[in-house]
Amino acid sequence: MVQLNPQFGRENEASPALIIKVIGVGGAGSNILDRTMLDGIQEVELTAANTDVQSLTASVANHKIQLGRNLTRGLGSGGDPELGLAAAKEASEDIQSALSGGNIIFVCAGLGGGTGSGAAPFVTKLAKETNALVLVLVTMPFSFEGRRRCEQATTSLQLIRQWADAVVCFENDRMAEITLPRMGIHEAFAAADLTISQSIRAIADLLRKPGLLSLGFDEVCAVLREGNARALFGFGEAEGENRAHDALAKALRNPLMHRGEMLANSANVIVRICGAANVSLGEVSMLMEELNRHINDGTQLMLGIGIDPSMGQKISVSILGSLGDASERPQPVTQTRRVQVPTPVEPVIEAESQVAKSVPEPESPAALQEEPEPVLTIPPRAPQNEAKPVKADPPAKPESKNAEPKQEVLQFESVSRGRFEKSEPTIIDGQDLDVPTFLRRHIKGK
Amino acid sequence: MARDNIFAGLEIGTTKICVVVAEARHDGTLKVLGVGNAPSRGVRKGEIVDFETAKRCVHDAIVDAEERSDVEISEIYLGVTGGHIRSFNNRGVVLLEEGREEIDEQDLEDVRTNAREVSLPMEDCVLHTIIQHYYVDGQDGVLNPLGLLGRKLEADFHIVYGIRTRIQNAIRCVKELELETADVVINSFATAQAVLDKHHKQLGALVIDIGGGTTDYVVYVEGAVKQSGVIAVGGDHITNDMSIGLKIPTARAEKLKLDEGDVTLGVAFPGETIMLRDETGFAGREIEREMLNQIINVRIREIFDIVSRQIQSDLNFLGAGVFVTGGSSQLRGIDHLASEIFGTSARMTPPLPLAGVTSAFEHPQFSTALGLVKYAHLVHLDRPAGKSFFGRTIKRLSGMFRS
Repeated sequence: MVQLNPQFGRENEASPALIIKVIGVGGAGSNILDRTMLDGIQEVELTAANTDVQSLTASVANHKIQLGRNLTRGLGSGGDPELGLAAAKEASEDIQSALSGGNIIFVCAGLGGGTGSGAAPFVTKLAKETNALVLVLVTMPFSFEGRRRCEQATTSLQLIRQWADAVVCFENDRMAEITLPRMGIHEAFAAADLTISQSIRAIADLLRKPGLLSLGFDEVCAVLREGNARALFGFGEAEGENRAHDALAKALRNPLMHRGEMLANSANVIVRICGAANVSLGEVSMLMEELNRHINDGTQLMLGIGIDPSMGQKISVSILGSLGDASERPQPVTQTRRVQVPTPVEPVIEAESQVAKSVPEPESPAALQEEPEPVLTIPPRAPQNEAKPVKADPPAKPESKNAEPKQEVLQFESVSRGRFEKSEPTIIDGQDLDVPTFLRRHIKGK
Repeated sequence: MARDNIFAGLEIGTTKICVVVAEARHDGTLKVLGVGNAPSRGVRKGEIVDFETAKRCVHDAIVDAEERSDVEISEIYLGVTGGHIRSFNNRGVVLLEEGREEIDEQDLEDVRTNAREVSLPMEDCVLHTIIQHYYVDGQDGVLNPLGLLGRKLEADFHIVYGIRTRIQNAIRCVKELELETADVVINSFATAQAVLDKHHKQLGALVIDIGGGTTDYVVYVEGAVKQSGVIAVGGDHITNDMSIGLKIPTARAEKLKLDEGDVTLGVAFPGETIMLRDETGFAGREIEREMLNQIINVRIREIFDIVSRQIQSDLNFLGAGVFVTGGSSQLRGIDHLASEIFGTSARMTPPLPLAGVTSAFEHPQFSTALGLVKYAHLVHLDRPAGKSFFGRTIKRLSGMFRS
């Protein structure tokens, strides 16, 4: 409460008082925090919470909380989530006071280790109890870190999902998508942290920077609260002739978008386009038209446009979406994809219960009070519905499903050899190789 | 300037014509003096289809090379390719006559001639007879039988042949420009000299040179050429596929291939598109990236599959892996695809560093041209040892041409 007032004063000038707090839990959490800090985020309160005093001292966050002062005595939690949780409980008052008064709370953690996996769910719970909008950004361990750490991470993620309004999940295995395999490991991790800190910044900007078409806190709440706590995020920046297209392409390629497999299933999507005064209507309409192709017709699309003279020739696109169950369609799809998994009866009942749940939520602020209630019902569905998508999205299957209706179909000409029409045919194993391979193999589009 | 230590190589490619001039230095190394380059016209699938036009292009490339290297070229090593070039392995046998036990040079020549005595179609002629292994009295592992004692000399050879008239077209083109052809070399051998070192050849390696009009490959096992071949499919086919599949003009397809070409599937974001701008700068058509990649992927996959089938028996001996080179090897992800299909390590590789080569030419596209002078250098180093059969091949070829 003490920290609240000065921020109130400052915030009032720009937009209604919106207090954003970021708390980093564990070693990876504070790394993300440091990155966010170094990138120069403004008007955001950063708190680092860790059991390991050494790394806590090294952190540049403006508030620091030592977890388990008596329990671990300044050492780490040694990869034991139980210990991490106990340590966090010991410091629960400190955490509560650090979090109180925030409108939006970001919880950052690296799951898999002791402090991150143990304390993050607890911190999320405390954050939720302050009635703030809670966004959790977590990294999942590399699969080569061993099954045990992956299991710890998955269990922890399930717990976090019960309390968080939205979880953005970065799988370290996807790090290869943003860096090159031969790049230094340090740079690779820095790039991963950057991806996450970018999303914090973009969401903060989304809410606080003035814009032509501005998006309110209520809209962000609507997007994130309605879904099933799984969020997608993409950010892209580009300049040059084709900047609108390029920026969108970059945003869609963000590892936190999970290659867009799930974008088509999102119930709500927020887009914020930002650029200097030279952003043209043509660019915006082209960009939105392109984006529309990636989402389905039932998706609610909210557009925000920000004008920031410091952008110069650049244009940036941020996309935030939540995987909702508001539209029924994606649910059966997810189910059929996993038919081989046992317990085929339960999902049906769950789907119903979800629909019932999601109806009253959006309109009433009372939904906040109801939050604990879903906690009781969600756990049984969590293991089946959500734990799996996390691990199972890399396979390409869902891609083809989503993309199918949008495909362009190649037309078949009668044996076409194009420019080789008059040249001597190249025939190997009875195939005329001058005829395009895809025509001979009857491959359509995809 | 002493003429005998200057070599020039000419590659008449489907996309470009390239001339490399190099000098053999006293320390046994090779230094490139200049590289001449001209875009190619009148060449399809590695063979001349419009003689006059091709001749003008060759002329341009030679003039360019002469200017850059400050050497007047009189003799040239000519790289040839084309779908008609084939090869096989054959064993030659020579029995030494009674009372003589030491194997001499004549025996080596005889065994080579013996191996070459197979019935080829009338229109064909032998281009290369390359020694693989010698056996003396059935004993394996003889590196050089000269001077050894024995009664029976056997040798395995890799024999490359092609249609005589089609090879003569290239020779005639050079001749009309007042140049002598020192030797005819099939492109795949030349390329292998440029991208492989001794070590790779010993370990076993497959070189695939995907050019504009043809794909040339050669397999080295235990230091010897084991198999080679030409598939008359190359980068032009990819462009043609794209042009047909995406319904865009060929020139546009070519540019798109160079800018965006990728053989990897599943990396494109579903529905991700590439904007094609027309000349006026207005947004033109959009191309689905996955579809583009798919078209390229199936084509390259098919080429690799054909190579893989043809060299099936040696797939397990590629210790050094697969080396993909040539202009079309720059498609992104081609090394991964090659690795997947051949089941061994694969890399996209430019020619090995060579003294005097500017970075502009250290590019997979110039592997063959640079390999030609390396080949010439090797032949030159070998010649004192008596392996002058190449010269004879040429004499025979040009003799045929005269008659």
